[in-house]
Amino acid sequence: MTDIVTIRGLDHSYGQTRALRGVDLTVGAGECVALLGPNGAGKTTLVSALTGALAPAAGTVRITGSDPRRPATRRRLGVVHQHAGFPRTLKVRELVAGWAVRAGRPASDADAVLAEVGLLDLTKRRVTELSGGQQQRLQLAMSLAVDPTLLVLDEPTVGLDVEARRRFWATLAARRDRGTAVLLTTHQIEEAAAVADRVVVLHQGTVIAIGSPADLTAQLPDRTVTARTALPDSELRALPDVLDVTVADGRMRAVSARPEATVRALLAADPTLADLRVEGASLEQAIVSMTAAQESRKVAA
Amino acid sequence: MTASILAVEIRDELYAIIRDPVAALFSIAMPVGMFAVFATLFGAEGDGPVSGATLMLATFGAFGVISVALTPGIGIAEDRERGWLQVKRVSPVPVRTTLAAKVVASLPVALGVYAAMSLTAFALGRFDTDIGTWLRIAGLLLLGSLPFALLSMAVGFVARGRSAPAIINAVFLPMAIAGGLWMPLEVLPAFVQDLAVWLPTYHTSQLGLGLLVGDPILDNIAALLAATAVAASLAAIAYRSMRA
Repeated sequence: MTDIVTIRGLDHSYGQTRALRGVDLTVGAGECVALLGPNGAGKTTLVSALTGALAPAAGTVRITGSDPRRPATRRRLGVVHQHAGFPRTLKVRELVAGWAVRAGRPASDADAVLAEVGLLDLTKRRVTELSGGQQQRLQLAMSLAVDPTLLVLDEPTVGLDVEARRRFWATLAARRDRGTAVLLTTHQIEEAAAVADRVVVLHQGTVIAIGSPADLTAQLPDRTVTARTALPDSELRALPDVLDVTVADGRMRAVSARPEATVRALLAADPTLADLRVEGASLEQAIVSMTAAQESRKVAA
Repeated sequence: MTASILAVEIRDELYAIIRDPVAALFSIAMPVGMFAVFATLFGAEGDGPVSGATLMLATFGAFGVISVALTPGIGIAEDRERGWLQVKRVSPVPVRTTLAAKVVASLPVALGVYAAMSLTAFALGRFDTDIGTWLRIAGLLLLGSLPFALLSMAVGFVARGRSAPAIINAVFLPMAIAGGLWMPLEVLPAFVQDLAVWLPTYHTSQLGLGLLVGDPILDNIAALLAATAVAASLAAIAYRSMRA
């Protein structure tokens, strides 16, 4: 797989605050990488460096081998911002056609991408008359109009309803099949888990974990055991290897370090047990655990 | 940078002026309307063979052209506040091209304002110049508006979107009045007449007046070059401190 994005030793500070500390990252053609982490982790700084909006203090950023600070490098870079702030005097087709022309593409490409995102019937409407969800789709249309080799998506599905989200990711999947690389930043972790090939967890400017969503959740040994049971709370807490228990509406939810032992004891203690399930940790749980562990190491040091 | 990219940038900026009712009212309708009123009331008075209405093409013409030249700064402040400038910064178009397009797009609108005033003077039967002089005045007014475009950009780089028009007009309108763009300097107090020679508005209007009555304009050109240098420096400093 050809690397579209290559980031090496990326470092940047704002005054005394170090936003990025030697970040390395690659994104291959057709790959979707989700950049996750709490607020202040360095995601925005990394995206700014990747899109050429920021000159990093140290390190290199390359898109298909070129520096994104050069405008020509950004010709085939599509960016979906959290909020675009469109000019109120342009109409939908004018905006998308103009974006295609800026990337050296024919203006006539606009209709195809507007059809792709479901806005073809709104081409003559002023962009500021669109709903929030339609404006997000318009941003996607603009980014697709440049025939992107790389798409950078910053919270792209905020404001989209379920059907629009499904369509959004389907459109992205089709583009990825054609080799477009995707870098996604989002706080909707389960959505990232569903669409990303790899997840990069940033914490205080450092990459603390990188891998597929399955790899990252596998690093967290805890499992969640859920069941309908008549056992009282005190007996549930006494079950072997249980770390935490909650009960709501007759359904218990226990986090266990060794679910096999917990389940065996649970079955022996309650013959009326029903609807038993054992689930792995969610990506969100894994990330919370990783960042907490990182904090602990920092305090210990 | 291809011509088609520049053309798209200019088209978008042109729409930003002519499709925005507020911008169109203050930058186009108001100067032309004021010219129509003043030319009707005082257009018969003049300087020798040149009617007052024709002389007003130099003074109100300067007011109209400069009013349009101030739109880039307002546009920049609005783009910054909305977040659109940030979107443009990661596009393949260099920011300097976007900024240049804002200025270039204002030129045909400014020319349109000057032409509308000229048609008004013609309709009143008080258009007393030849086409060559008329074109030279147009060219000089457009060049003379450059320091104002740069000054408005300096404000646009640092002011908030809503406050930018207020700041720009708070600076420009007193300069327009004190520079003799609305009424002859002779009717203004002596201290204002003394102040006028330090104002670029005065020198911009003197370019056209000089051509119409045959006065030399080299000093005015030199003064406007100096004003352009100062405004360009201010714009550069403001750009560096800009937060998109």
